[in-house]
Amino acid sequence: MFRKFCTPLLLIASCMASPVFAQQQPIPYFAEQVSSGALPPMAERLPESPAKPSFFDKETGQYGGKIRMLMAKAKDIRLMVAFGYSRLVGYDDQLQLKADILRKVEIEEGRIFTLHLRPGMRWSDGTPFTSEDFRFYWEDIATNETLSPFGPSKDLLSQKEKPLFEVIDKYRVKYSWSTPNPYFLPALAGPRPLFIYMPAHYMKQFHADYQTPEKLTQLTEDAHKRNWRGLFVSKGRQYKLTNPDLPSLQPWVNTTRPPAERFIFKRNPYFHRVDPNGQQLPYIDEVEINLASAGLIPAKAGSGEVDLQARYLRLDNYTFLKEGEENGNYQVNLWETGRGAQIALYPNMNAKDPQWRTLMQDVRFRRALSMAVNRNEINQVVYFGLAKDMANTVLPSCPLFKTEYATAWSDFNTDAANRLLDEIGLTKRDSRGIRLLPDGNPMEILVQTAGESTEETDVLSLVEDSWKRIGVQMYVKPTQREVLRNRVFSGEAIMSAWYGLPNGVPVASMSPAQMAPTRQDQYQWPQWGRYYETGKGKPSKMPEVQELVTLNNDWSMASSVEEQARIWNRMLEIHADQVFSIGLVSGVLQPMVVNENLMNVPENAFYNWDPGAYFGIHNMAGFFYKDPE
Amino acid sequence: MLKYLLKRVLVMIPTLIVISALVFIIIQLPPGDYLESHIAELESQGESIDPQKIEFLRHEYGLDKPLWEQYLVWISGFVQGDLGYSFEYNLPVAEVIGDKMWLTIIVSFFTILVTWLIAFPIGMYSATHPYSWSDYSLTLVGFLGLATPNFLLALVMLYLANRYFGTSIGGLMDPEFMDQDWSWAKVKSVLEHLWIPVLVIGTSGTAGMIRRLRANLMDELRKPYVVTGRAKGLGETRLLIKYPLRLSMNFFIADIGSLLPSIISGAEVVAVVLSLPTTGPILLAALQSQDMYLAGSFLMFLAALTVVGVLISDILLAMLDPRIRLQGGVQR
Repeated sequence: MFRKFCTPLLLIASCMASPVFAQQQPIPYFAEQVSSGALPPMAERLPESPAKPSFFDKETGQYGGKIRMLMAKAKDIRLMVAFGYSRLVGYDDQLQLKADILRKVEIEEGRIFTLHLRPGMRWSDGTPFTSEDFRFYWEDIATNETLSPFGPSKDLLSQKEKPLFEVIDKYRVKYSWSTPNPYFLPALAGPRPLFIYMPAHYMKQFHADYQTPEKLTQLTEDAHKRNWRGLFVSKGRQYKLTNPDLPSLQPWVNTTRPPAERFIFKRNPYFHRVDPNGQQLPYIDEVEINLASAGLIPAKAGSGEVDLQARYLRLDNYTFLKEGEENGNYQVNLWETGRGAQIALYPNMNAKDPQWRTLMQDVRFRRALSMAVNRNEINQVVYFGLAKDMANTVLPSCPLFKTEYATAWSDFNTDAANRLLDEIGLTKRDSRGIRLLPDGNPMEILVQTAGESTEETDVLSLVEDSWKRIGVQMYVKPTQREVLRNRVFSGEAIMSAWYGLPNGVPVASMSPAQMAPTRQDQYQWPQWGRYYETGKGKPSKMPEVQELVTLNNDWSMASSVEEQARIWNRMLEIHADQVFSIGLVSGVLQPMVVNENLMNVPENAFYNWDPGAYFGIHNMAGFFYKDPE
Repeated sequence: MLKYLLKRVLVMIPTLIVISALVFIIIQLPPGDYLESHIAELESQGESIDPQKIEFLRHEYGLDKPLWEQYLVWISGFVQGDLGYSFEYNLPVAEVIGDKMWLTIIVSFFTILVTWLIAFPIGMYSATHPYSWSDYSLTLVGFLGLATPNFLLALVMLYLANRYFGTSIGGLMDPEFMDQDWSWAKVKSVLEHLWIPVLVIGTSGTAGMIRRLRANLMDELRKPYVVTGRAKGLGETRLLIKYPLRLSMNFFIADIGSLLPSIISGAEVVAVVLSLPTTGPILLAALQSQDMYLAGSFLMFLAALTVVGVLISDILLAMLDPRIRLQGGVQR
């Protein structure tokens, strides 16, 4: 009772205590540098109108502390670009696009984009961030013959057309295409974003158009590069973060030069976001990434050696991690994962063997295989019943989700599956009860996997059992990722196991390309995907697949969100009905170790690469310690 | 002797050339190249990469050239002291391996020391008290070390060290020392972590050494010169150390050939399990991702050390035991 009464009062009090005009508290981390004059005070480091991310459901915090994380490889430090999630425009945690680095974006007819920068915003070294950084990227990199012999990145093209780029003034640039380009803003908001800007003031020293040949040769030699292009590329990796001297717009900036076992990211004094009180973010001073072998990371996390860790932890570590909570001063959260399916089977419709190819393209065959999977059993046996037994489609938390998609042909029903196989004409069986193919060979399906975890093999052995009941013998063959890819591409692998839809929580304004044959690495139709990607080979003659291609094109021309949603739903419907991939289990939870004093980390959220950028869209810059040491 | 040495050194050159060709072929044997395994890895995490960019990179790295041409580029750089370029790290190979070398040498040095410290006394004791109760029980200890899977032992010891001594799991020092200069605290932290890998790797090597020393020594102990020595009144310890032990050391000297490379490469599996910042895990990762110049240069380095090691042990053997002839050939 007391609580009930008290809470609203407290809320009001805290609102009153946080007037926007309050004096900004200086950041202790920079106190010395500011008092010595090496760094201007906070008000001068911020842009005129800083970005104010939503603090709904979150608390304002205090400065200080360090987040420790573990990674298995030195190149994993690139994930700090995802975690920091400083983007021109970015998704918020409701998956709506919001301006972040930009002040705003003006869009005309879906094809003319005017980007407004924040006046007074600066790179991490204090140099102003202006339209020059965009011009430099477009004119001297993206369309420079030496640096981009193949032209600008594909994401910058709409219907293979380059944009018209114009600098309007110091803080405005414009990109325009002749047709709508719905891919542009999502590409900027991606976990691995399309960088259309670069710190021109720093990078010019490595560019042949701006540097004297003698000095450039000298720099190239010092860096052990073959030519200035190699030098330029190696100095300007905004995603890989291998050059600590490269100015950045991220909340934390790498200060360690590889190779190293331990990378320290220090706060960016000029970061553009503030909390509701006008205090500059991030709250946390440093992020420390230590390297350890992947197998040891759960053990180290369990002994309290991290403050925030999800990568390299799996659901089967959960009980162990939970046990260490008290001694390790952390808590384990379970986040939803965002893939359409944790594991899915992909019948290769481009299999080399004509007999198998015909079967795989027969929808009855795919439906029968899907119905013969006991998803509930898999969920209970391998995932403690914490996952979802559904087909490979969007997840229930996605606005496009419909129950039909999840249940279509995914109920365990061996009778119906047997009837379908009989209907195809696969009625003969051998002495083991295994059906015979038309050529008299037994129906043995070799499922090839990337062989990375025992989880896959555990799940597949359950499927193997239930498939026997419809007279199909499955064998599992773990290989290596590269080998698997090549076998699938060449049609040698008739079936493969991989994860489901990369993005299980899309909204209608996100591209549905993952639903249509658009890429070679879609394992149910690698050859048709290759045709779309490179124009080599032949397109599909299956009407359902053709419709998917058409729908995908229609989407890019769609004029409204309703139209886009209609297209998405039609594509999801086709997938559900046609069972192009057989989802085995979905919604597997991701354990996450979080220091008990680390605040503003959501307890329930989804953990996904795209969209999501893992912690990225949850504004990691707003995480803070309750009592930083 | 000098002529023999010269000949041996000259033979080393074609040997190394053949090894280099083999190394390069074997690294290239698995299908695909570094870029393919790189794409596959990105994909497994949901990232993707533009196929055009891959083509560009393939050209830039010279991966589109024929195999023999890639080999010539690599080997000619090698001769000039350029170990090539690591794709995985985007750095010259020499820089990648550079600072790891010292820690590897420290681990290996202590491991070898521990192996000897355990194996020699036990071997000598077993040989002088053969078929006794104490011989059997000591040898059993050696075999236990050999039979226990190293990675398992490593994990158990990690757990115990963390549980009872609060040692941070894995690595060779506490994380905060990683980028610091050497200090007393850092040395202490290294020592605190060092004993696990040293003991784990060391125990596996002791059994073999105990058995070989025991067998060789027992052979010698039965020979007439030992009896003569004893009859002339030499003390047991002096007798043992002065002649039979010296002669039973042949195998030990011959081992130096493989000892040198093992100082650099250490025990890869244990290093991976314990996540030691040594060179072993780098080699393994490089082989997996087909980072061919890194893996190739590393293997070449090991091969060169083996060849040099064998040379050294041959010279030492000749000095130790005059019965060993420098020249081959049949002599009547």
